[in-house]
Amino acid sequence: MASEQAEAVDLVASDTVKQLSGAVLFAALTAVLAQFSIQLPGGVPFSFQPFGVFFAGLLLGPLWGGFSVLLYVLVGLAGAPVFSNAAAGIGYVLGPTGGFLIGFVIAAAVLGFVAHRSLTPKSVAELSAVSVTAALLAGLAVIYLVGVPWLAAVQGITLVAAASAMSLFVVGDLIKIGLTVGVVAGGNELLADWR
Amino acid sequence: MLTYTPGDTVVHRLDPRTKLGFQFAFALATFTTLTLPRLAGLFVVGLVSLYLAGTTVRTVVRAYWIILLVLAAGPLIAGVTLGSPWFEVRPALASVRSVVRIVPLLFVSTAYVTATPVRDTRAAIQRTIPGRAGQLLGVGVALTFRFVPVLRADLRRVRDAIRARGGDTRSIRERSQRLTTLMVVRALRRSDRLAVALQARCFAWNPTLPRLQFSRLDLPVWMLSAVLAGVGLAAILPL
Repeated sequence: MASEQAEAVDLVASDTVKQLSGAVLFAALTAVLAQFSIQLPGGVPFSFQPFGVFFAGLLLGPLWGGFSVLLYVLVGLAGAPVFSNAAAGIGYVLGPTGGFLIGFVIAAAVLGFVAHRSLTPKSVAELSAVSVTAALLAGLAVIYLVGVPWLAAVQGITLVAAASAMSLFVVGDLIKIGLTVGVVAGGNELLADWR
Repeated sequence: MLTYTPGDTVVHRLDPRTKLGFQFAFALATFTTLTLPRLAGLFVVGLVSLYLAGTTVRTVVRAYWIILLVLAAGPLIAGVTLGSPWFEVRPALASVRSVVRIVPLLFVSTAYVTATPVRDTRAAIQRTIPGRAGQLLGVGVALTFRFVPVLRADLRRVRDAIRARGGDTRSIRERSQRLTTLMVVRALRRSDRLAVALQARCFAWNPTLPRLQFSRLDLPVWMLSAVLAGVGLAAILPL
C-alpha cells in the first residue's frame, strides 16, 4: 500500500523547481517595484516598474523570464493589487495601459533571448555590456510596439497621437536601461554567484 | 486598494470558472460594441454585477482612478490639433465612444476581484489550462501572491537601511542601483530557499486542490456569457 502511494507522487524535477522559484520571486519583485518610485528634484516620480521585467529576462532567460512576468500579470488578473497604484483585475489589463503589461511579458522573453542567445540562460557574469544593452533596447522596443498601438486603439486616437503622448516616458526608460546595464554588466559579484 | 472582501453575495457563491468565463465574454462584447443601445446594455450588466457582488461605483472610482484619468485624456488628445481650429469635435467624439466602453468592464472587473479569493482563481487556472503548464501557472500564482508582502517588507528594510546610512543624499543613479541590486540579491536568495523548501516538501505534479463545483446558480451566468460572446463574435465574424 505504502509503495503504491509513493508511486502515485509525481515529483517535479529539481531544475524545474529552481527555475519556478526564481520566476515566482521575480514576479513578486516586479509587483513590489511597480508600486515603488523615488522623487526626482522638482517632485517628478522615478518609477521602478520596468526593473523587475529587465532583471527577470536577464537573470532567468527567455522561457522563465517570460513565464515570471506572465505570473505577475496573472496574479493581478486574479485580484491581487500588484499593478501600478495598487490596481488589479481584467479591467486594468484590458484598459488603455494594458498593452504595456502584455508588452512586458513578451519583452522579458525577447530580451532574455537576445542577451543569452539561447533558450537556456547562462551566468550573468558571462553577459557583456553590449549584449545586455542590445537586449534591453530590444525589450523596450517590444514594450512600446505593443503598448502604443493598444493605447491608440482603446483611446480611439491616432497612432501618432498615442506615440507623442508616450514619447516623454522613453527618456526615463532609457535611463533605467543605463542603470540596469551598470548593475548587471558592471562585474557585480553579488549577482555573478547565482546560477 | 482593490482586493478580495469575504462575503456571501451571489457573486461570491459562483464558481470561479463561471466568473472568469463571464469576464472574458463581457470583454469580447465590450471591444466589439460601439452602438449606443449596446453600450447602455453593457452598463446595465456591469452595474448589476457590481450590485450582486455587494460593491459600489465608488469602489470602482477609488480603485481605478488612474485608469479613468487616462481614459478621460483620450478625447482631449484626439481632439487637439497643432493649428487652427485647435480642437476638432469629431475625433474627440469618436474617442469618447471608444473609451466609454471600458467603464462597464471596470465594473465587472471590480465585482470579480472583490468576490473571488486568489486561491479560487489559482484553482480555476489550474483546472482550465491543461497539462503541466496549467499546474505551473496555478502554483506560480499562489506562490507569487504569498511572496509579494515578503518582498514588500524587504524593500522597506532595504530603503530604511540606505536612509539610515545617509544614502538618500546620494545621486539618483547610486540610490537606484544600490536599491535594485539589493532587492535582486534578496529575491535570488529567497528563490534558492524556496526551491529547497519545495523539494523538502516533495513538490509534485499532482497536488490536492480546493474543490470546485458548479451549482444551479452558475447556469444563468453561463447563459448570459454565451449571449455576450455571441454578440461579440457576431460583430467580428461576417455573419
